[in-house]
Amino acid sequence: MASDISEASSSTADLKLQFAPFSSALEAGFWHQLTQKKLNDYRLDESPKCIKGYYYNGDPVGLPTRLTLEFSAFDVDGPTPARCCPAVGTLYNTNTLDAFKNTDKKALLEKEAAEIWDAIQSGAALKNPSILCRFILLTFADLKKYHFYYWFCFPALCFPEGIKVVQEPVVLDQVFSAKQIAALREAYDGLCVSRGTTAVPYFLMKYSDDAVHMAPLEDWEAFFTDTKKVTVGVYDPCTLSQHPGWPLRNLLVLLATQWGSKLDVVEVLCFRDRTLQGSRSIQHSLVFRVKLPELPSSSVCPKSVGWEKNPKGALGPRMVNLSECMDPKRLAESSVDLNLKLMRWRLVPSLDLDKVVNTKCLLLGAGTLGCNVARTLMGWGVRRITFVDNAKISYSNPVRQPLYEFEDCLGGGKSKALAAVDRLTKIFPGVNAEGFNMSIPMPGHPVNFSQATLSQAQKDVEQLEKLISEHDVVFLLMDTRESRWLPTVIAASKRKLVVNAALGFDTFVVMRHGLKRPPNSQTVSTESDSSPSCSSASSSSSTPAGSAPRVPGSSLFSNIPGHKLGCYFCNDVVAPGDSTRDRTLDQQCTVSRPGLAMIAGALAVELMVSILQHTEGGYAVASSSDDRMNEPPTSLGLVPHQIRGFLSRFDNVLPASLAFDKCTACSPIVLDHYEREGFSFLSKVFNSSHSFLEDLTGLTLLHQETQAAEIWDMSDDDSI
Amino acid sequence: MTEKSCGVLDEEEFYKCCRLLLQQSEQLRDGWSWEAVQGSEGYLKKTALRPVPAPQREEESGSHPQMHSTCNPSPQPPQEEQPVCVASSDPSSSSDELEDEDDNSCWVAENIGLMFQFEYHILYSCSYAVPVLYFRAFTLEGRSLTLGEVWSCVHPNFRICLQSCPLNAISQQEHPLLGQPFFVFHPCRTEDFMKPMLQAAQDQHRTVNYVLSWLSVVGPVVGLDVSLNYSLERLPGAPPCSPRQH
Repeated sequence: MASDISEASSSTADLKLQFAPFSSALEAGFWHQLTQKKLNDYRLDESPKCIKGYYYNGDPVGLPTRLTLEFSAFDVDGPTPARCCPAVGTLYNTNTLDAFKNTDKKALLEKEAAEIWDAIQSGAALKNPSILCRFILLTFADLKKYHFYYWFCFPALCFPEGIKVVQEPVVLDQVFSAKQIAALREAYDGLCVSRGTTAVPYFLMKYSDDAVHMAPLEDWEAFFTDTKKVTVGVYDPCTLSQHPGWPLRNLLVLLATQWGSKLDVVEVLCFRDRTLQGSRSIQHSLVFRVKLPELPSSSVCPKSVGWEKNPKGALGPRMVNLSECMDPKRLAESSVDLNLKLMRWRLVPSLDLDKVVNTKCLLLGAGTLGCNVARTLMGWGVRRITFVDNAKISYSNPVRQPLYEFEDCLGGGKSKALAAVDRLTKIFPGVNAEGFNMSIPMPGHPVNFSQATLSQAQKDVEQLEKLISEHDVVFLLMDTRESRWLPTVIAASKRKLVVNAALGFDTFVVMRHGLKRPPNSQTVSTESDSSPSCSSASSSSSTPAGSAPRVPGSSLFSNIPGHKLGCYFCNDVVAPGDSTRDRTLDQQCTVSRPGLAMIAGALAVELMVSILQHTEGGYAVASSSDDRMNEPPTSLGLVPHQIRGFLSRFDNVLPASLAFDKCTACSPIVLDHYEREGFSFLSKVFNSSHSFLEDLTGLTLLHQETQAAEIWDMSDDDSI
Repeated sequence: MTEKSCGVLDEEEFYKCCRLLLQQSEQLRDGWSWEAVQGSEGYLKKTALRPVPAPQREEESGSHPQMHSTCNPSPQPPQEEQPVCVASSDPSSSSDELEDEDDNSCWVAENIGLMFQFEYHILYSCSYAVPVLYFRAFTLEGRSLTLGEVWSCVHPNFRICLQSCPLNAISQQEHPLLGQPFFVFHPCRTEDFMKPMLQAAQDQHRTVNYVLSWLSVVGPVVGLDVSLNYSLERLPGAPPCSPRQH
């Protein structure tokens, strides 16, 4: 560009003055305020509104010439930032995108130009020269999507032949002495004080070798006694070294209209006034001379231009998508995530939140435990939460199940799984929750009453298998023991992490199930894991496969790796069956101290989070109560196998136990049958009594052996 | 009554410190202003326009290879910009009739890169009895940046250092006076890091402007530099502003 200028300077006759147009600059607060105005004041009113922006002449080189609108733009009488010039504009906010598109932009521009022209002709612009710097803003606010369409116009009246440069622009300190520059600064500051402002957009100027005088435009006649040499000053927001900004354009039209007959050449000072590191400078202001052109007619408004170009460089509107910062749902999401990140500040810098947030959780049971687990998962920012429950909300539920209200119980009650989803979405719209109102088939609860019940059971099994496949963690939160059997088998087979919570009256257990090794790698350790010599769970720990040798003196149950840990059924020597038969009401329902479900539900989620933070996840060695004094294995602390709580003593213990090779749910023989026979095996379990699973796993034999042993024991005692 | 200074200040002292800072800012002309809100409340405000740092610029301008130099940055993905074109491709739209004959002769393009606007607010937190820095950044179109985008504006050398330091406690909150979403430096550690600074000043019998000292710590994290001139130019006759003493 520099070379262009120097070439042009050799033929000054052809050099036309070029102006840097305004770039619109909107602060976020402007859109917030426009939204408020549209919703509360304007509503469907499309009539033009008066707004205000401002421009500044103190920018460092390299910043664009801007007209800035902030949230205060709607307060036309409000203050303008210090040392900035106000610019008044007209807002046309349309109700539809079509109206925005179809607005006659040329007519808007011409209307505005005519007003400026009138003010120039009447002389009103001399008294109030800020009218020379007006703007138009055309908007459409799509408040459903938070998309804002807008188009600025900075009307400028044109000389048909352009403006000839007589003396090309130079910076002030090339033509002014230091003394003159100081005097100019003083004169400008004095003018500001006398006008009661901190910025004057246009002014008149006279100078000699040691003095500079300034006056407002309206004092022209008194100030310039002869018009041989006239200097006008313009507060210039541009930072280019060869060009003035937009505000000068209409001033030159004003000069031509008012004094064109007397004036030939005008000297222009583009006043720039910046302060860097506390030191103020105006010496980079520009000075040049132009030949004031004649206007073709003194009565007809000249041609006008001024619509702003869009980012593609074409005359066209712009659109800004503010859903990220204005859509309350998006805001809630980013706030939740940022708040969680506060944990990483000092407390747990190495916390891997993404692992937690991205975990897909399947909650089997949406009762007291399910509700509390879901809320704690939400607290951790977990997005994918799926409920399975077949119950309806009853009158007794809302007081203990925090996702339900009285209203949900009316008319027979809503489905728990579906109501829980609705409530989660209300609490946090960013959650991705789903509900399935379905039953989980259970051992000892026959499904073979009819072909219909059988095929329903088959469908339920398939649905559950699908759900477990699609999630990362399965929470067992049902109120019966036997309903946990099927998901335990499926999840063990699919190598999914299971977190199980169960309540007594004032006791609870929260545990993770052992996570079997992936099928291919398990062949290596099959022998030791399913050692036939195991008559008790502990014996298999004496032949740990691939795990660190036991530290001498440590207990039998320390350092059990995740793949060897037991499941909920491993400690039982009876197969699950119908536990609701032959029970009184208080035995059928979960009757527990009300705080227990909250404690256990919260612990279940916290256990999951701790497991996820361990590098080995579900394969992590189980921490025990003895580890409480040791270096914790994760940034959040221990990763126990079980937490057993005793509310009467306000005490928790952290036992760990091995997988039982005769377990009715996770033993190799059960998984093997399930994997080979599928539903036909499962239906046998559902339809049979306890003995089927007990026979299969060898528990029946174990019972007989134990009874035999007891008889021998008793006879021994007798002998004493 | 002990001579030990604590790391907090009360509201009245906060306003006093702000007034002093404003006086100096007025001399240094670095753009701080006082925004009064209904009643006696208010906050210190400053805005700054900054070029987008190079890595981000490449990334963003990549989607607009034809972008005109005078134009504002538009970091949205291209599909979100489509609606803009709808209007101009509409035959009834005014792009044709607005063909600007003026351009060649009177219009000059500024060779300007992408810019972000930053807005900083200093408010008083009654709960923590310390100043709190609220801030947001946006494109020239007024689209607020995400925290990730804000961090990308911090020089990479600082970024690694700052993200692992306690000042990385940035959260999103509603501006208490404006009701708009802002980022905020969580004030819960402010007292801790101010205490030794104030103690040292007291030991050396220096007066310090609490708000200024605090700002010089938290400001640079998000590109808000505090001029050294604030410390060099002691205003004659200005009342010293010292922390609360017990």
